[in-house]
Amino acid sequence: MTIFLQSLLDGLIAGSIYALFATGLTLIYGTLHFINFAHGELIMAGAYLAYLFMIPPLHLSPFISGSLAIVGVVFLALLMDRTVFHPLRTANPLLLLIASLGISLFLQNLAQALWGAQIRTFPFPLKRGMAVGPVVITPVQSGILLIAAITIFLLYLFLKFSRVGKAIRSVSDNPRLAETFGIETEKIIRFVWIAAAALAAIGGVLYGADTNLEPHMGIINLVRAFAAVLIGGTGNVWGALIGGFVIGLSENLGVLILPLGYKDAIAFFIIIALLLFRPEGILGTRWGVR
Amino acid sequence: MINYLLHIVIISEIIIPFAIGLQLEIGDTGLYNFGHVAFFGIGAYSSALLTINGIPFIISLFISLAVSGIIAWFVGFPILRLRGDYFGLAMLGFAEIMRKFFLNEAWLTHGPMGIPGIPHPSFFGFTIHTLYQFAVFYGTLVLIAYFTVHHIVHSPLGRVFHAIRDDEYSANAVGKDTFRLRRVSLVMGTLLAALGGILWAHYITFISPSDFTLNETILVLLIVVLGSRWGTTGAVLATFFVIGFQEGLRFLPLPESFGRLVAPIQQMLFGLILIIIVLKRTGKWARKGNQFAQG
Repeated sequence: MTIFLQSLLDGLIAGSIYALFATGLTLIYGTLHFINFAHGELIMAGAYLAYLFMIPPLHLSPFISGSLAIVGVVFLALLMDRTVFHPLRTANPLLLLIASLGISLFLQNLAQALWGAQIRTFPFPLKRGMAVGPVVITPVQSGILLIAAITIFLLYLFLKFSRVGKAIRSVSDNPRLAETFGIETEKIIRFVWIAAAALAAIGGVLYGADTNLEPHMGIINLVRAFAAVLIGGTGNVWGALIGGFVIGLSENLGVLILPLGYKDAIAFFIIIALLLFRPEGILGTRWGVR
Repeated sequence: MINYLLHIVIISEIIIPFAIGLQLEIGDTGLYNFGHVAFFGIGAYSSALLTINGIPFIISLFISLAVSGIIAWFVGFPILRLRGDYFGLAMLGFAEIMRKFFLNEAWLTHGPMGIPGIPHPSFFGFTIHTLYQFAVFYGTLVLIAYFTVHHIVHSPLGRVFHAIRDDEYSANAVGKDTFRLRRVSLVMGTLLAALGGILWAHYITFISPSDFTLNETILVLLIVVLGSRWGTTGAVLATFFVIGFQEGLRFLPLPESFGRLVAPIQQMLFGLILIIIVLKRTGKWARKGNQFAQG
């Protein structure tokens, strides 16, 4: 029973991080209608930038390092859009997917060339976990839950009440109609990239704090995010949020039944099952013809 | 030196069937299969396990091809209901699950330790040992594969594949069973991938799950994208180019401290090439249904 509750808690923590990955990915999918394979590398870049600011010689506090990492990742995302995705705006989504595969390969190996392939961890002092009832939570884990909750709340306020947020929702709903109402689509797309990159960076930093960093960490997290996006129905931000938690929980509870070696395959099983039986997602409505 | 060149030729001959299989699926039928490497792996593992247990190479070759084809036939039934990027990602998921299978089912695959000591190809009492023999034998098989595919692409079947690629609904409307034909294309591409995998296993004589990752998928995708303008022949030429480049880099007399950087920098270049080709050819490809069409 204790193992079950502990797995539940670990699943919730992992899920809150995956939810951040998934909401960012689905914002891009909803607005630009392609699967950005390089989203995983935005996550990786966020984690690595925060790590670089935290270690000597800079030795900044985790909070400042994280904030600087967000700024860096936002710039990286805008650069990606300007150089690669903007010229391909009207191209077939598969070409965008292949181009983003190229970016993903490039950035992964850039990270490996710069910082080596070894696994790294944030320089946090080891602290004893607090016992909450039968389960144990470390200070870092409670920080992760808190920051994830705040980020999600801010995202909600941004999309629901700000002018830009409303415009994003209208562009992802119907770009042509949005344009006839005087919304500058290109400007909105820039904001979508900023939001998605910030979410990826925050998620990446939290993921780095929860587990560890290595240059190829992007792919598996992209897969988790994509599975979460499918659960929510493509382009559905709140669906993706719930999807993130579903993935986190099913990975951590799944290993109670499945061999540990298949933990990373759980997201793939979910993707295949969903694509086959419910391509419109659990929560979503059918988007286009597939 | 000559051995080194022969090695590059042999590796290219292994990758060529793998690449023309994907070219048949992507370039001719429009099936964006991002899990092609799964069948390369299935072919390699199946033939390695059979020959290690004493089955002669020739029989193992045909059994392994059949096993891969049958798996593709069954996998195709559910996954081919998807199209475009959804199909591609479901296949990517299949490839990743297969890799986990190779990794975790140690009773069958020896897990992460891999399978060492795979015998060299042999037939009718003759065993292949020297690099020359490998190059000639593999070259013969590759030529047969190339001409078969070339023939299929220019046959009525190939024209239906092109019709499905360009406009599946119209192909359907004139009475073609497009689901079955896409499945046929997937199985044909798979047989070629499996052939590549089998040749790989018996040349390297050691396989492990880390040979069949997303990196190999991206490598073969790069080859197909590079050669897409010239169809099957393009895939063959692009294979020689990419493999020559990849293996040639190892031959450069680089300082020791730089050695660690060679692999990542090579992958970065591959990523850049992929991006640049997509950007360069957008004008041509942006037209509906003509992506990666033979020009």
